[in-house]
Amino acid sequence: MNRFRNVLMCIALAAVLCVTFMPVALFAQATKIVIDGSTTVGPIAKAFAEYYMSKNAGVNITVSESGSGNGAKSLINGTCDIATMSRFMKDEEFKAAVDKGVFPVATVVSVDGIAVIVHPSCPVQGLSVDQVRDIYTGKITNWKDVGGPNVAIVIISRDTNSGTYESFESLVLNKQKISDKAEYVGSNGAVRERVQSTPAAIGYVGLGFVDKTVKALKVNNIMPDEATVTSGSYPIARPLFMFTNGYPKMGSTLYSFLNLYLTPKGQEIVKAIGFVPITKY
Amino acid sequence: MQDQLVISKGARRFKRLGALFGSTLLVALASSSVIALLFIFYFIMRDALPFFRLEGVREFLTSTHWYPSRDPAEFGALSIFVGSALVTLGASIVAVPLGILAALCLSDILPFAVRQVAKPIIEMLAAIPSVVYGFFALVVLAPLIQARGGTLLAAGAWMVLAPLFLVSTTVASDIVSSRFPQRLRTPVRIATLAVLGGLGIGALLALTGVLNRLVVSSGTNALNVSVVLGIMALPTIVSVSEDALNSVGRELREGSYALGATRAETLLKVVVPAARSGILAAVILGVMRAIGETMVVWMASGNAARIPSPWFNLLQPVRTLTATIAGDMGEADQVTGSARYHVLFAMALCLLAFAFIMNLVSEYVVRRSRKMRG
Amino acid sequence: MELGTRKLFNRSFSLVSIAAIVLMALSLVVLLGPIFVKGSSAFVFRGTVEYRMLMLNRFGRGNQAVVEAEKASAEAARKPVLDLIRGFEGEMEQRGPEFRAKYESDFRELKGLVLELFGPSPGEPTPVLLRQQYGQTRWDRSKLKLEGILFVEEYDYSDPTRMGVKVLKPRVERFRGTSMEPLFGDLERGIEEMMRPRLTWYWRFPFDDSYDSHFFGGIWPEMLGTIYLAIGSMLFAVPLGIVTAIYLAEYSGEGHFVSLLRTCISALAGVPSIVFGLFGLAFFINTMKVSQSKSVLAGALTLAILVLPTVIRASEEAIKAVPLTYKEASMSLGASKWRTILTVILPAALPGVLTSIIISMGRAAGETAPIIFTAAVSVGKPLAIWQTLTQPTPALPWNIYNLATEHQAVDEIRHVQYGMVLTLVVLVLLLNLTAIIIRARISKKLRA
Repeated sequence: MNRFRNVLMCIALAAVLCVTFMPVALFAQATKIVIDGSTTVGPIAKAFAEYYMSKNAGVNITVSESGSGNGAKSLINGTCDIATMSRFMKDEEFKAAVDKGVFPVATVVSVDGIAVIVHPSCPVQGLSVDQVRDIYTGKITNWKDVGGPNVAIVIISRDTNSGTYESFESLVLNKQKISDKAEYVGSNGAVRERVQSTPAAIGYVGLGFVDKTVKALKVNNIMPDEATVTSGSYPIARPLFMFTNGYPKMGSTLYSFLNLYLTPKGQEIVKAIGFVPITKY
Repeated sequence: MQDQLVISKGARRFKRLGALFGSTLLVALASSSVIALLFIFYFIMRDALPFFRLEGVREFLTSTHWYPSRDPAEFGALSIFVGSALVTLGASIVAVPLGILAALCLSDILPFAVRQVAKPIIEMLAAIPSVVYGFFALVVLAPLIQARGGTLLAAGAWMVLAPLFLVSTTVASDIVSSRFPQRLRTPVRIATLAVLGGLGIGALLALTGVLNRLVVSSGTNALNVSVVLGIMALPTIVSVSEDALNSVGRELREGSYALGATRAETLLKVVVPAARSGILAAVILGVMRAIGETMVVWMASGNAARIPSPWFNLLQPVRTLTATIAGDMGEADQVTGSARYHVLFAMALCLLAFAFIMNLVSEYVVRRSRKMRG
Repeated sequence: MELGTRKLFNRSFSLVSIAAIVLMALSLVVLLGPIFVKGSSAFVFRGTVEYRMLMLNRFGRGNQAVVEAEKASAEAARKPVLDLIRGFEGEMEQRGPEFRAKYESDFRELKGLVLELFGPSPGEPTPVLLRQQYGQTRWDRSKLKLEGILFVEEYDYSDPTRMGVKVLKPRVERFRGTSMEPLFGDLERGIEEMMRPRLTWYWRFPFDDSYDSHFFGGIWPEMLGTIYLAIGSMLFAVPLGIVTAIYLAEYSGEGHFVSLLRTCISALAGVPSIVFGLFGLAFFINTMKVSQSKSVLAGALTLAILVLPTVIRASEEAIKAVPLTYKEASMSLGASKWRTILTVILPAALPGVLTSIIISMGRAAGETAPIIFTAAVSVGKPLAIWQTLTQPTPALPWNIYNLATEHQAVDEIRHVQYGMVLTLVVLVLLLNLTAIIIRARISKKLRA
């Protein structure tokens, strides 16, 4: 009798498990979009995701922000649908993608200027690109050499998994080495957090991350904002990408999500977040 | 044997086969941890060896230039190893004396009721997740150190050095005065106390002055991380040391008391030496916890790949192995087998090897003590 | 050494060691104090009329008539200020380019700040981002914004030997002599009427969905993700762990295999958590492909290996603690070894095993490094059970890190960060407390 009851309980447990997990078979094709990549494009992706999910129930969009390089890797491995990147894919990444049968296609969803930020108490108002380079490579170590008080500069940079770092490296550093005194943090938000709490710090973030708690410097006498970035006069500007595996099928969920940036609402979102909307690149 | 009074031969064979099958299954399931460990070693090693094949070992271990994304890339991880070692050393300085003292207190000094209150406190410290410690280190401690680092260090120095001075001056004055004949003892003792005490306080005040004037340029530094890692490692050290102290039999303690030793003397000269292997094992476990911690160091150590300029200057940012793995994993391109990806696995391999060796050492120590105790 | 000194030394030693314990307790207080204090502000705070409107529109909570009446009266109170602003806009149009150049940028800044404080006024188009559709929902932030409106933060760079010093100048100076002057006084006096703060108890914070990247709402996706991960990892670790513990305690001698097993278990316990994360990524996701992308399943498997040694050790102790008499009695009645284990020893060891499970669950809920690469995302919807096999999820530990560092508006959501940390800490401490209580009951039973 005992054994019979045990067997019955096992069957009941198995039935419960089946019922809980059977929808996997039925709903295995449930619509989801997995987005991975840059912390700069992250806020745009998150806002788009929220807007899209509010207009289309039944779609689950998840956003990770672990770095442009990680996004590329996920796209190549097939573990994400959209890779948000704040830099273009490198040659090796393209090659690896094609080897794996993935054909990356870039969509520019916004333009961004990399703002060089300091603490608001720093008297320096602007620097030239050369000065920024010298600070980051360690040739200039004290604020007094650029017009400030006699305080050692604390350099904040992005970890090397960052597209922002890569863009900064190619646009400003001219391939020189960053000083080994530089502190590394993992995201735009973290750079801002360090700079806003350290009076002697200097850092670089995407334009959407500049707020009242930090001060953006003029670079080559040009203040970064929408006008100077789109016209190209701001020297450190770059497009922000969403990479997909080939062009998404017309009419699919991925297609309508990817083209959100072209809609008026999408442009409003990009602008509200602090980046520069774009319709043609 | 089982109820085999009236059982057929076939049934008996079936039962024996069933038992054999059951115990094989049991062994297979039980060895899952062995399998898991082997798999971990295999996968980490599989992805770590290509780095050594590509780049060799010398640069990795001796150069301090860490520029993995440049072209040509430089993989000098010495500063990162030193960073890990430095924060572990700092954490041990905080945790080991405190932990052993706390364990002694728990096992011998506190009454039972207070012990029942103290143990949950320690368990709570152990249960707090590491990201909460990291959050605390980044959001609360870092701005504090940046604004008042010097004062904090001065306060810490007072907390540590003042009792030491007190105790040592008393003891020293005692020893000195005991050399003199009876009449002169008291004045000599007072004199020594005054001189040594004055010197001590003077030194402390000078130190405080120097420390107060320190300017901390960045609150996310090795000191921040060392303190928090020390607090994280404390519960491990305390609980394992306490177990070791408790396992020292009552006879040793009672014998020592019977000979007229005070409690402090018993603890320091009899109990601790008897439990020293267990305490060593506890320290090793605490060190392993500190060196393997990721979130705290990623958030609050500053991540600057350089050896601080006097090497003991904990007020400068450092970079640890664990934070490098966590932070750089994003960019590492595993698909093309770049050295950049494999170097992270090489670091993971070093961590794994270190943890494994430390574990073997602590097991050896405990086993040898058990053998000696017979 | 003299007796007196020895006694003094003894006493000071006791004092020092007690100080060590006190220091540990103090560090616990210092650690948890700010978290509890600031975290509770996510649950208990003074919410404004904007908050109640948000709750009504998004969550359907609150009495519609009452809330809308409140909003109407708040808007009536704000009308003079908004009229002044609109009037000044018209004035700038009229007065010509010189006037405009003087006041335009200051005015735009002020208008932006007022918009942040009040939200869009009735006639204006609805902004697309949810965070801009409502004014300040919390009274403490409203007061901060008010300060930002009343005072301009300027830095005095006059001293060349040090960094600038922050100086607060009243903003009204910039509009001296214009029609905007009375705005500041009106605002300062009437702010309570305009925002209508009231003590709110947001106990639903851990159970509400989050809106607009945690600007509004609660942390339910993260809570659910953590619950899934903790329970999922237990589903894998407990059977393996208990079986291994039974083997170690009952079936084995002191042979080579057993000592190898024990070494491996303690080695596994010492592996750093980030290595588990790398292994989870390399093995479960890339090699075994348990799921196509990150998923709760992969995360649960990784966490299971992480907590396995703890489960094994604690279960083994619990099984060994069962008095030998139980086993002897059962076997003397003729039960086979396996039957004895199943029906006598395991039930007797159950409280101890349960304790180990609960503590390990707490550990699995709090770990971050293993789930970074295998299961955690920053934003996502709460998953249904069957989705956990294939989809990643936000989780409390990872999102604490994310919100504290990466978020675009870290200062605006400080209370959410602290609230998340508080929720995680309370969750873990509750689990541990349960385990402690169970353990106290066992020791009482076994002693009696």
